[in-house]
Amino acid sequence: MKRAILSCNGLDKPEGSVAREVAIRSADAIGGEIICPVLLNRAPARYKKALSDSSLIVVDGCSTRCATKLATRLGAKVERKVLVSDAVKASGQALESTLSLEPNGLALARTIVEELIRNLNAPAVAVEAVAEFETPTEYLVVTHDKFEFRIPVVDYVFNENDVWARALDGVARVGISDFMQQKLTDISYFDPPKVESVVEQFGELGSLESAKAVFEIIAPVAGVVTAVNPAVIDNPGLINEDPYGAGWLVEVKMTAFPQDEELLLDPATYAEIIKRKAAEE
Amino acid sequence: MAETTFMGVPRDQIPWFPTIDYEKCTFCMECDTFCPHHVFERREDDRKLVVANPSNCVVFCRACAKTCGPDAISFPGRPETIARIKQIREGVIVK
Repeated sequence: MKRAILSCNGLDKPEGSVAREVAIRSADAIGGEIICPVLLNRAPARYKKALSDSSLIVVDGCSTRCATKLATRLGAKVERKVLVSDAVKASGQALESTLSLEPNGLALARTIVEELIRNLNAPAVAVEAVAEFETPTEYLVVTHDKFEFRIPVVDYVFNENDVWARALDGVARVGISDFMQQKLTDISYFDPPKVESVVEQFGELGSLESAKAVFEIIAPVAGVVTAVNPAVIDNPGLINEDPYGAGWLVEVKMTAFPQDEELLLDPATYAEIIKRKAAEE
Repeated sequence: MAETTFMGVPRDQIPWFPTIDYEKCTFCMECDTFCPHHVFERREDDRKLVVANPSNCVVFCRACAKTCGPDAISFPGRPETIARIKQIREGVIVK
Protein backbone atom coordinates (compact mmCIF):
# COMPACT_ATOMS: atom_id res chain seq x y z
CA MET A 1 0.00 0.00 0.00
CA LYS A 2 1.18 3.51 -0.76
CA ARG A 3 1.86 5.95 2.03
CA ALA A 4 0.87 9.58 2.44
CA ILE A 5 1.96 12.07 5.07
CA LEU A 6 -0.40 14.36 6.93
CA SER A 7 1.37 16.84 9.14
CA CYS A 8 0.76 19.75 11.43
CA ASN A 9 1.24 22.88 9.35
CA GLY A 10 3.80 24.17 11.77
CA LEU A 11 3.48 27.89 11.43
CA ASP A 12 3.01 29.14 14.97
CA LYS A 13 5.14 26.92 17.23
CA PRO A 14 8.71 25.61 17.13
CA GLU A 15 7.35 22.04 17.47
CA GLY A 16 5.25 22.72 14.39
CA SER A 17 8.31 23.74 12.41
CA VAL A 18 9.91 20.43 13.33
CA ALA A 19 6.72 18.56 12.36
CA ARG A 20 6.75 20.22 8.97
CA GLU A 21 10.41 19.30 8.46
CA VAL A 22 9.69 15.70 9.49
CA ALA A 23 6.89 15.52 6.92
CA ILE A 24 9.06 16.84 4.09
CA ARG A 25 12.00 14.59 4.90
CA SER A 26 9.77 11.53 5.36
CA ALA A 27 8.08 12.14 2.04
CA ASP A 28 11.48 12.35 0.36
CA ALA A 29 12.67 9.15 2.05
CA ILE A 30 9.64 6.97 1.31
CA GLY A 31 8.28 8.64 -1.81
CA GLY A 32 4.93 9.41 -0.17
CA GLU A 33 2.53 12.19 -1.03
CA ILE A 34 2.29 15.13 1.34
CA ILE A 35 -1.26 16.13 2.27
CA CYS A 36 -1.78 19.78 3.17
CA PRO A 37 -3.92 19.88 6.31
CA VAL A 38 -5.42 23.26 5.47
CA LEU A 39 -6.51 22.17 2.00
CA LEU A 40 -7.68 18.81 3.33
CA ASN A 41 -9.84 20.60 5.87
CA ARG A 42 -11.17 23.04 3.28
CA ALA A 43 -11.68 20.62 0.39
CA PRO A 44 -11.38 16.95 1.40
CA ALA A 45 -12.34 15.81 -2.11
CA ARG A 46 -8.94 16.99 -3.33
CA TYR A 47 -7.29 14.17 -1.40
CA LYS A 48 -9.99 11.53 -1.70
CA LYS A 49 -7.83 9.26 -3.84
CA ALA A 50 -4.73 9.67 -1.70
CA LEU A 51 -6.71 8.83 1.44
CA SER A 52 -8.35 5.75 -0.04
CA ASP A 53 -5.18 4.40 -1.70
CA SER A 54 -2.67 5.14 1.06
CA SER A 55 -2.02 4.49 4.68
CA LEU A 56 -1.23 7.66 6.56
CA ILE A 57 1.74 8.77 8.54
CA VAL A 58 0.43 11.50 10.83
CA VAL A 59 2.84 14.06 12.28
CA ASP A 60 1.59 16.29 15.08
CA GLY A 61 3.61 19.15 16.52
CA CYS A 62 1.95 19.55 19.91
CA SER A 63 -0.68 17.76 21.98
CA THR A 64 -3.51 19.67 20.37
CA ARG A 65 -2.96 17.05 17.66
CA CYS A 66 -4.73 18.87 14.86
CA ALA A 67 -3.46 16.44 12.21
CA THR A 68 -4.65 13.41 14.18
CA LYS A 69 -8.08 14.93 14.70
CA LEU A 70 -8.38 15.71 11.02
CA ALA A 71 -7.42 12.14 10.09
CA THR A 72 -9.88 10.69 12.60
CA ARG A 73 -12.71 12.92 11.40
CA LEU A 74 -12.17 11.80 7.83
CA GLY A 75 -11.90 8.13 8.77
CA ALA A 76 -8.41 7.77 7.26
CA LYS A 77 -6.34 4.63 7.86
CA VAL A 78 -3.46 5.68 10.09
CA GLU A 79 -0.35 3.54 10.00
CA ARG A 80 2.01 5.52 12.22
CA LYS A 81 1.95 8.63 14.32
CA VAL A 82 4.61 11.01 15.46
CA LEU A 83 4.16 13.59 18.21
CA VAL A 84 7.02 16.09 18.15
CA SER A 85 6.41 17.48 21.66
CA ASP A 86 6.86 13.96 23.07
CA ALA A 87 10.02 13.49 21.01
CA VAL A 88 11.37 16.77 22.44
CA LYS A 89 10.80 15.49 25.99
CA ALA A 90 12.36 12.11 25.18
CA SER A 91 15.42 13.77 23.63
CA GLY A 92 16.14 15.78 26.78
CA GLN A 93 17.21 18.67 24.55
CA ALA A 94 15.13 21.86 24.44
CA LEU A 95 14.09 23.27 21.09
CA GLU A 96 15.08 26.77 20.13
CA SER A 97 12.22 29.21 20.65
CA THR A 98 12.34 30.52 17.09
CA LEU A 99 9.86 29.47 14.44
CA SER A 100 12.53 28.96 11.80
CA LEU A 101 14.47 25.75 12.24
CA GLU A 102 17.73 26.03 14.17
CA PRO A 103 20.32 23.28 14.85
CA ASN A 104 18.45 21.53 17.69
CA GLY A 105 15.17 21.44 15.79
CA LEU A 106 16.85 20.21 12.65
CA ALA A 107 18.76 17.50 14.51
CA LEU A 108 15.53 16.35 16.18
CA ALA A 109 13.71 16.24 12.83
CA ARG A 110 16.50 14.06 11.41
CA THR A 111 16.35 11.72 14.40
CA ILE A 112 12.56 11.40 14.23
CA VAL A 113 12.65 10.58 10.52
CA GLU A 114 15.42 8.01 10.98
CA GLU A 115 13.42 6.24 13.69
CA LEU A 116 10.22 6.45 11.66
CA ILE A 117 11.84 4.88 8.61
CA ARG A 118 13.46 2.19 10.75
CA ASN A 119 10.09 1.33 12.30
CA LEU A 120 8.33 1.29 8.95
CA ASN A 121 10.91 -1.11 7.56
CA ALA A 122 10.97 -3.37 10.60
CA PRO A 123 7.88 -2.94 12.77
CA ALA A 124 8.78 -2.69 16.45
CA VAL A 125 6.12 -5.23 17.31
CA ALA A 126 6.86 -8.70 18.55
CA VAL A 127 4.76 -10.97 16.40
CA GLU A 128 5.27 -13.99 18.61
CA ALA A 129 2.57 -14.24 21.20
CA VAL A 130 3.81 -16.38 24.05
CA ALA A 131 0.59 -17.56 25.52
CA GLU A 132 -1.96 -19.93 24.02
CA PHE A 133 -5.46 -18.95 25.06
CA GLU A 134 -8.81 -20.34 24.15
CA THR A 135 -11.62 -17.90 23.43
CA PRO A 136 -14.08 -17.74 26.33
CA THR A 137 -17.42 -19.42 25.81
CA GLU A 138 -19.44 -18.50 28.87
CA TYR A 139 -20.31 -14.94 29.85
CA LEU A 140 -22.04 -12.92 32.52
CA VAL A 141 -24.26 -10.38 30.79
CA VAL A 142 -25.04 -6.95 32.20
CA THR A 143 -27.93 -5.25 30.43
CA HIS A 144 -28.67 -1.55 30.42
CA ASP A 145 -31.38 -0.12 28.18
CA LYS A 146 -30.81 -1.71 24.78
CA PHE A 147 -27.15 -2.50 25.54
CA GLU A 148 -25.64 -5.80 26.64
CA PHE A 149 -22.17 -5.97 28.14
CA ARG A 150 -20.47 -9.36 28.29
CA ILE A 151 -17.95 -10.47 30.91
CA PRO A 152 -16.26 -13.88 30.69
CA VAL A 153 -17.19 -16.04 33.67
CA VAL A 154 -13.76 -17.61 34.25
CA ASP A 155 -10.03 -16.87 33.80
CA TYR A 156 -10.33 -13.08 33.38
CA VAL A 157 -9.63 -10.43 36.01
CA PHE A 158 -10.28 -6.71 35.64
CA ASN A 159 -9.21 -3.35 36.94
CA GLU A 160 -11.72 -0.57 37.48
CA ASN A 161 -10.32 1.15 34.40
CA ASP A 162 -12.07 -1.46 32.22
CA VAL A 163 -8.95 -3.41 31.28
CA TRP A 164 -8.76 -7.18 31.60
CA ALA A 165 -5.87 -9.57 32.19
CA ARG A 166 -5.75 -13.30 31.60
CA ALA A 167 -2.76 -15.02 33.12
CA LEU A 168 -1.00 -18.19 32.04
CA ASP A 169 2.49 -19.39 32.99
CA GLY A 170 3.67 -16.00 34.22
CA VAL A 171 2.39 -14.11 31.19
CA ALA A 172 -0.76 -11.99 31.15
CA ARG A 173 -2.62 -11.20 27.99
CA VAL A 174 -4.31 -7.80 28.28
CA GLY A 175 -7.26 -6.16 26.53
CA ILE A 176 -10.26 -3.93 27.15
CA SER A 177 -13.70 -5.03 28.26
CA ASP A 178 -16.79 -5.32 26.11
CA PHE A 179 -18.27 -2.40 28.07
CA MET A 180 -15.36 -0.11 27.18
CA GLN A 181 -15.24 -1.07 23.50
CA GLN A 182 -18.93 -0.25 23.21
CA LYS A 183 -18.41 3.03 25.03
CA LEU A 184 -15.57 4.03 22.68
CA THR A 185 -17.51 2.91 19.58
CA ASP A 186 -15.43 2.24 16.44
CA ILE A 187 -11.78 2.15 17.45
CA SER A 188 -9.58 3.62 14.74
CA TYR A 189 -6.07 3.52 16.18
CA PHE A 190 -4.02 1.56 18.69
CA ASP A 191 -0.89 3.30 19.88
CA PRO A 192 0.99 0.37 21.45
CA PRO A 193 3.58 0.40 24.21
CA LYS A 194 7.15 -0.44 23.22
CA VAL A 195 8.00 -4.13 23.39
CA GLU A 196 10.41 -4.76 26.29
CA SER A 197 9.21 -1.64 28.10
CA VAL A 198 8.61 -2.00 31.82
CA VAL A 199 5.20 -1.11 33.21
CA GLU A 200 3.95 -0.75 36.78
CA GLN A 201 0.49 -1.86 37.84
CA PHE A 202 -1.85 0.99 36.82
CA GLY A 203 0.85 2.43 34.57
CA GLU A 204 0.10 3.03 30.91
CA LEU A 205 0.07 0.38 28.19
CA GLY A 206 -0.46 2.68 25.21
CA SER A 207 -3.78 4.15 24.15
CA LEU A 208 -6.77 3.64 21.88
CA GLU A 209 -8.55 6.23 19.80
CA SER A 210 -11.99 6.43 18.32
CA ALA A 211 -13.87 9.38 16.88
CA LYS A 212 -15.45 9.70 20.32
CA ALA A 213 -12.52 9.50 22.74
CA VAL A 214 -8.92 8.72 23.56
CA PHE A 215 -8.59 5.89 26.06
CA GLU A 216 -5.43 5.23 28.06
CA ILE A 217 -4.89 1.52 28.59
CA ILE A 218 -4.20 1.22 32.31
CA ALA A 219 -2.08 -1.84 33.10
CA PRO A 220 -3.84 -4.39 35.31
CA VAL A 221 -0.51 -6.03 36.20
CA ALA A 222 3.11 -4.97 36.51
CA GLY A 223 5.70 -6.48 34.21
CA VAL A 224 7.58 -6.30 30.93
CA VAL A 225 5.78 -5.97 27.61
CA THR A 226 6.63 -9.07 25.58
CA ALA A 227 4.20 -8.85 22.67
CA VAL A 228 1.83 -6.50 20.90
CA ASN A 229 -1.01 -7.95 18.85
CA PRO A 230 -0.04 -7.25 15.21
CA ALA A 231 -3.57 -8.05 13.99
CA VAL A 232 -4.97 -5.20 16.07
CA ILE A 233 -2.32 -2.78 14.80
CA ASP A 234 -3.45 -3.59 11.25
CA ASN A 235 -7.14 -3.65 12.09
CA PRO A 236 -8.16 -1.91 15.35
CA GLY A 237 -11.78 -2.84 14.56
CA LEU A 238 -10.94 -6.32 15.90
CA ILE A 239 -11.15 -4.85 19.41
CA ASN A 240 -14.78 -3.97 18.79
CA GLU A 241 -15.53 -7.31 17.16
CA ASP A 242 -13.89 -9.61 19.72
CA PRO A 243 -12.55 -7.72 22.77
CA TYR A 244 -11.78 -10.85 24.82
CA GLY A 245 -10.36 -12.95 21.98
CA ALA A 246 -8.77 -11.81 18.71
CA GLY A 247 -8.90 -8.19 19.87
CA TRP A 248 -6.35 -8.63 22.67
CA LEU A 249 -3.78 -5.83 22.86
CA VAL A 250 -0.54 -6.81 24.55
CA GLU A 251 1.15 -9.52 26.57
CA VAL A 252 3.06 -8.74 29.74
CA LYS A 253 5.57 -10.99 31.53
CA MET A 254 4.39 -10.45 35.06
CA THR A 255 6.77 -9.38 37.79
CA ALA A 256 4.40 -8.90 40.75
CA PHE A 257 1.76 -11.55 40.48
CA PRO A 258 -0.23 -12.69 42.45
CA GLN A 259 0.35 -9.59 44.66
CA ASP A 260 -1.19 -7.45 41.92
CA GLU A 261 -4.40 -9.44 42.25
CA GLU A 262 -5.18 -7.64 45.48
CA LEU A 263 -6.28 -4.59 43.48
CA LEU A 264 -8.07 -6.49 40.70
CA LEU A 265 -11.69 -7.56 40.37
CA ASP A 266 -13.23 -10.93 39.65
CA PRO A 267 -15.90 -11.08 36.90
CA ALA A 268 -18.87 -10.85 39.30
CA THR A 269 -17.44 -7.78 41.05
CA TYR A 270 -16.59 -6.16 37.73
CA ALA A 271 -20.18 -6.80 36.61
CA GLU A 272 -21.37 -4.72 39.58
CA ILE A 273 -18.99 -1.89 38.58
CA ILE A 274 -20.35 -2.00 35.02
CA LYS A 275 -23.90 -1.75 36.28
CA ARG A 276 -22.97 1.38 38.22
CA LYS A 277 -21.02 2.95 35.36
CA ALA A 278 -23.77 2.24 32.83
CA ALA A 279 -26.34 3.82 35.14
CA GLU A 280 -24.16 6.93 35.50
CA GLU A 281 -23.73 7.40 31.74
CA MET B 1 -27.48 7.88 45.94
CA ALA B 2 -24.69 5.51 46.92
CA GLU B 3 -21.29 7.05 47.56
CA THR B 4 -18.92 6.70 44.60
CA THR B 5 -15.94 4.49 45.27
CA PHE B 6 -12.82 3.40 43.44
CA MET B 7 -11.26 0.09 44.46
CA GLY B 8 -13.52 0.14 47.47
CA VAL B 9 -12.24 3.54 48.63
CA PRO B 10 -14.51 6.62 48.68
CA ARG B 11 -13.62 8.56 45.55
CA ASP B 12 -13.19 11.85 47.39
CA GLN B 13 -10.43 10.27 49.51
CA ILE B 14 -8.27 9.73 46.42
CA PRO B 15 -6.42 12.89 45.38
CA TRP B 16 -6.38 12.12 41.65
CA PHE B 17 -7.48 14.99 39.42
CA PRO B 18 -5.90 17.46 36.99
CA THR B 19 -4.19 20.66 38.12
CA ILE B 20 -4.14 23.57 35.68
CA ASP B 21 -0.99 25.69 35.43
CA TYR B 22 -2.52 29.08 34.73
CA GLU B 23 0.87 30.44 33.64
CA LYS B 24 0.74 28.07 30.68
CA CYS B 25 -3.01 27.63 30.02
CA THR B 26 -4.24 29.44 26.89
CA PHE B 27 -7.92 28.62 27.61
CA CYS B 28 -8.26 26.80 24.32
CA MET B 29 -10.75 24.51 26.16
CA GLU B 30 -9.49 21.37 24.37
CA CYS B 31 -9.41 19.49 27.70
CA ASP B 32 -12.95 20.49 28.60
CA THR B 33 -14.19 19.58 25.14
CA PHE B 34 -12.46 16.23 25.40
CA CYS B 35 -13.40 15.14 28.95
CA PRO B 36 -16.74 13.31 29.01
CA HIS B 37 -16.89 13.37 32.82
CA HIS B 38 -17.39 17.13 33.31
CA VAL B 39 -14.30 17.52 35.48
CA PHE B 40 -13.72 21.02 34.13
CA GLU B 41 -16.07 23.97 34.10
CA ARG B 42 -15.91 27.18 32.11
CA ARG B 43 -16.30 30.43 34.04
CA GLU B 44 -16.96 34.00 33.09
CA ASP B 45 -14.26 35.48 35.38
CA ASP B 46 -10.45 35.71 34.98
CA ARG B 47 -10.00 31.99 35.46
CA LYS B 48 -12.06 30.98 32.50
CA LEU B 49 -11.55 27.30 33.22
CA VAL B 50 -11.46 25.52 36.59
CA VAL B 51 -11.31 21.95 37.91
CA ALA B 52 -14.83 22.08 39.30
CA ASN B 53 -15.58 18.38 39.82
CA PRO B 54 -12.33 16.63 40.81
CA SER B 55 -14.15 13.52 42.05
CA ASN B 56 -15.57 12.95 38.57
CA CYS B 57 -12.05 12.36 37.26
CA VAL B 58 -11.34 8.72 36.37
CA VAL B 59 -8.57 7.58 38.70
CA PHE B 60 -5.34 6.92 36.73
CA CYS B 61 -6.69 8.53 33.53
CA ARG B 62 -4.51 11.36 32.21
CA ALA B 63 -6.00 11.60 28.76
CA CYS B 64 -6.97 15.29 29.06
CA ALA B 65 -3.31 16.21 29.61
CA LYS B 66 -2.55 14.61 26.26
CA THR B 67 -4.91 17.00 24.52
CA CYS B 68 -3.16 20.00 26.05
CA GLY B 69 -0.96 21.79 23.49
CA PRO B 70 0.76 24.12 26.01
CA ASP B 71 1.33 21.22 28.48
CA ALA B 72 -0.54 23.04 31.27
CA ILE B 73 -2.18 20.02 32.95
CA SER B 74 -0.48 17.86 35.56
CA PHE B 75 -1.50 14.88 37.69
CA PRO B 76 -0.15 13.27 40.86
CA GLY B 77 2.18 10.30 40.52
CA ARG B 78 0.56 6.90 40.03
CA PRO B 79 2.74 5.09 42.60
CA GLU B 80 1.82 7.57 45.39
CA THR B 81 -1.83 7.27 44.49
CA ILE B 82 -1.73 3.48 44.58
CA ALA B 83 0.08 3.61 47.92
CA ARG B 84 -2.62 5.89 49.33
CA ILE B 85 -5.42 3.65 48.05
CA LYS B 86 -3.75 0.62 49.63
CA GLN B 87 -3.27 2.45 52.92
CA ILE B 88 -6.93 3.44 53.08
CA ARG B 89 -8.00 -0.11 52.19
CA GLU B 90 -5.79 -1.51 54.93
CA GLY B 91 -7.08 1.02 57.44
CA VAL B 92 -3.64 2.68 57.87
CA ILE B 93 -5.25 6.02 57.06
CA VAL B 94 -8.43 6.52 59.03
CA LYS B 95 -11.09 8.20 56.95
